[in-house]
Amino acid sequence: MKVKDILQSSNFHLISNQSGLEKDTKGIFSSDLLSHVMGFAGENNILITVLNNINVLGVASLLDFSCVIFPHNVKVNETIINKANELEITLISTHLSTAQAVLNLYELGVED
Amino acid sequence: MEHFSKEFTIQRNDIGNAGTVSSLTKRELKKRGLSRDFVKTVTIGVYEAEINVVIHSYGGTALLEITDDYVQITFTDTGPGIESIENAMTAGFSTASSYAIENGFGAGMGLPNIKAVSNEMDLSSSKSGTILRIRFNICSDCYES
Repeated sequence: MKVKDILQSSNFHLISNQSGLEKDTKGIFSSDLLSHVMGFAGENNILITVLNNINVLGVASLLDFSCVIFPHNVKVNETIINKANELEITLISTHLSTAQAVLNLYELGVED
Repeated sequence: MEHFSKEFTIQRNDIGNAGTVSSLTKRELKKRGLSRDFVKTVTIGVYEAEINVVIHSYGGTALLEITDDYVQITFTDTGPGIESIENAMTAGFSTASSYAIENGFGAGMGLPNIKAVSNEMDLSSSKSGTILRIRFNICSDCYES
């Protein structure tokens, strides 16, 4: 499943540019503590987090995540979106909670 | 034997640039054909250590060295030092500021994560500064097949 397939659901909205949409996804990881993310997340994971700061992009880039999803309509500022575009990290927003987003992603066909 | 070395300056609380040392380390290792798993392991260790200098110290330097046999990175800061290394090495123990926590750090997992991923780790600390050396051995299995 590719990042662009997530956007088939009307629950998920692209907030960065389209440069990373062809990336493959593999598994979901959710945490708001970056050391947990560093310690346990894997390549091509979809990261779901309410942390909306620049360090999320650093970690996403270092670990080669497929995309980052911000649940609960968490606001993401322009600086972060611009940096994500530069690093080709896809950012997606959803009104869903973290748990609902995880369920929805599995329904869409995200593989572990 | 090729010996790559590069020194970086790390500024106190410069969270926006945290990740510079680990990004460059990742790039250098990929260039050498090292495997994704190996690169990830090193990147985790270097990132955690880099964040520690940013959020806990008055600032310092990182010296990255890559030879055919190992990747070594030595972080040296100018204080205030770690009060109890034993506590700092305990998973979940944290003295992080609210500023660090708001930015997603301070879970108390930094040093335990570094210890878990590296082959060697030396940590010494006094009020005038902390020195952390971590080493990852490069073996024939560490390359992309």
